[in-house]
Amino acid sequence: MTKKKTKFLFNFDKQSKVGLAFILPALVYMIIMVGYPIVYNWVLSFQDVSVFNMAQGVKRPFIGLGNYRMIFSNDVLPIALKNTFTYTIVSLFFQFVFGMLLALLFNKKFFLSKTLRGLLVISWVMPTTVTALLFKYMLSPDAGIVDSFLMMTGLIKEPVGWLLKEKTAIWGPIFANIWTGIPFNMLLLSTGLSGISEEVYESAGIDGANALQQFFKITLPLLRPAIMSVLVLGFVYTFKVFEHIFVMTAGGPVNATEVMATFSYKLSFRNYYFGQGAAVANILFLILFCVALIYLRLIRKEESM
Amino acid sequence: MKHLKNKLFIHDYHKHHVILFIVAIIASLILLFPLYWIFSSSLKSDMEIFKNPPTLFPGSISWDAYKGLLIGKESVLGTAKNSLIIALGAMSISFVVGVPAAYGISRFKIPGVKWIIMVFLVTQMLPSSLLLTPMFLNFSKLKILNTYVAPILAVTTITIPFTVMVLRPMFMSCPKELEEAAKIDGCNTITAFLRVVLPVIRPGLITVCCFGFVHGWNDLVYSLTFNTKIKLFPMTSTIYNLMNEYGVRWNWIMAYACLVVLPPTLIFIFAQKYVISGLTSGSVKG
Repeated sequence: MTKKKTKFLFNFDKQSKVGLAFILPALVYMIIMVGYPIVYNWVLSFQDVSVFNMAQGVKRPFIGLGNYRMIFSNDVLPIALKNTFTYTIVSLFFQFVFGMLLALLFNKKFFLSKTLRGLLVISWVMPTTVTALLFKYMLSPDAGIVDSFLMMTGLIKEPVGWLLKEKTAIWGPIFANIWTGIPFNMLLLSTGLSGISEEVYESAGIDGANALQQFFKITLPLLRPAIMSVLVLGFVYTFKVFEHIFVMTAGGPVNATEVMATFSYKLSFRNYYFGQGAAVANILFLILFCVALIYLRLIRKEESM
Repeated sequence: MKHLKNKLFIHDYHKHHVILFIVAIIASLILLFPLYWIFSSSLKSDMEIFKNPPTLFPGSISWDAYKGLLIGKESVLGTAKNSLIIALGAMSISFVVGVPAAYGISRFKIPGVKWIIMVFLVTQMLPSSLLLTPMFLNFSKLKILNTYVAPILAVTTITIPFTVMVLRPMFMSCPKELEEAAKIDGCNTITAFLRVVLPVIRPGLITVCCFGFVHGWNDLVYSLTFNTKIKLFPMTSTIYNLMNEYGVRWNWIMAYACLVVLPPTLIFIFAQKYVISGLTSGSVKG
């Protein structure tokens, strides 16, 4: 393997050497800052790492699959997995539907359409910490606007106390995440929509297709590449969620909203089971890696098309 | 007759647009309501914030929360400095390291360049949880826990790939004749890159700077994990702590939230075009 690589290096002509010089700092930086930690994380997940031996120079016992065995027998893992998937899929669904509706709306030209669309993107640039706190406040049982509003309309008789109950708590971060993600979906779908020429719709209109038919027969198929990247990227960004949950519920009440990211964090930095924390992160990574592979294949297909 | 038809058409057209406009306004009001809610809650007095049901508009505007946060003995201005250092640090490193890399990738024929691009694309998707534990142990060995360096280095693992991915298409669409002409005028590769190519892709550079800054400013998890000294807390960690400290004094927390949100919002307002272009090109084209 190494022999092959050195041979490979020798084949570089002058131009590619210059190019490589431009890339090299970033490449070395990423190898040290990302590549090494990823490998190190795998090593850690096979070791018994605790506060006692995390210091330099102390040898850490290799325990094989011990950490993984511990995790798989931990009752929180199935909850975290289930929550991560629920959270991701529910968020993704609503973000996408609202994002699509808004993209279709703002694709039409009317008074202030550009300004309003731009304004909505603000929720995407907001610090997640603030969004999470804000939704925590709005969903709080005392003086929270959501429960007060629902009581005013008569939909509920007493405050729900969303984040305090095991059954409803996951909805808090889901609401916050939907709100954050709508503009992202809207913008990417808008870009896709603006690439579809008016003529296609005009000729469809002449053929007697109504708005709904036009949407399902023309818009959706032509928008496929944009939809694909929105969904895959949305999945990845939502699946690794940490801040929304960490700030709003911290995984509680009683692990009811634990997701993979918070589970890993707690194992490492609350219980100091660094090896187990690393193992959970690796499982999260493997799932995302599969999704990323699908995404890369899709991109390649599109590029070759 | 024809004239009348035209008129009718215009009338219809207007009606259609008025409906769209109204729908858009309603949708925007609902979506932007949480933002209004931060601001209006921050102006409520300690009494009013506990009113149930909450008042939609502050009954009397009270700046107490802001005064307390900005001047009182609990002043949080120091945390703004910490946030600024982390944001500027992340921005500078990703600029200095990322911009040349994007240029190298898009301008030179390098064997295996496709793999390099893929590495950047995939690192953008990495969960922070994956890097937290190994980075924590590494940083503790390097003795850079509880310094600004730790969160800055961690944030750049996202912003450098982002910089490369956003700038690559821009460098590619910039004509090669530029450098050739510059070289005839006596530039070498590096000066041609700095003096001729970079000015051309200025919009892209603004985009990546905005994102580098905002990512650094918005980070919570890295600062929270690597820096435990309150003196080093950026605004995000501080507001997270305030929540536990102030309990339900939401007017204070929301006032603080307004301060945290201010820089990203200002950047967004003044560089909206660049932020939006970065959002779309950075994610879709890859």
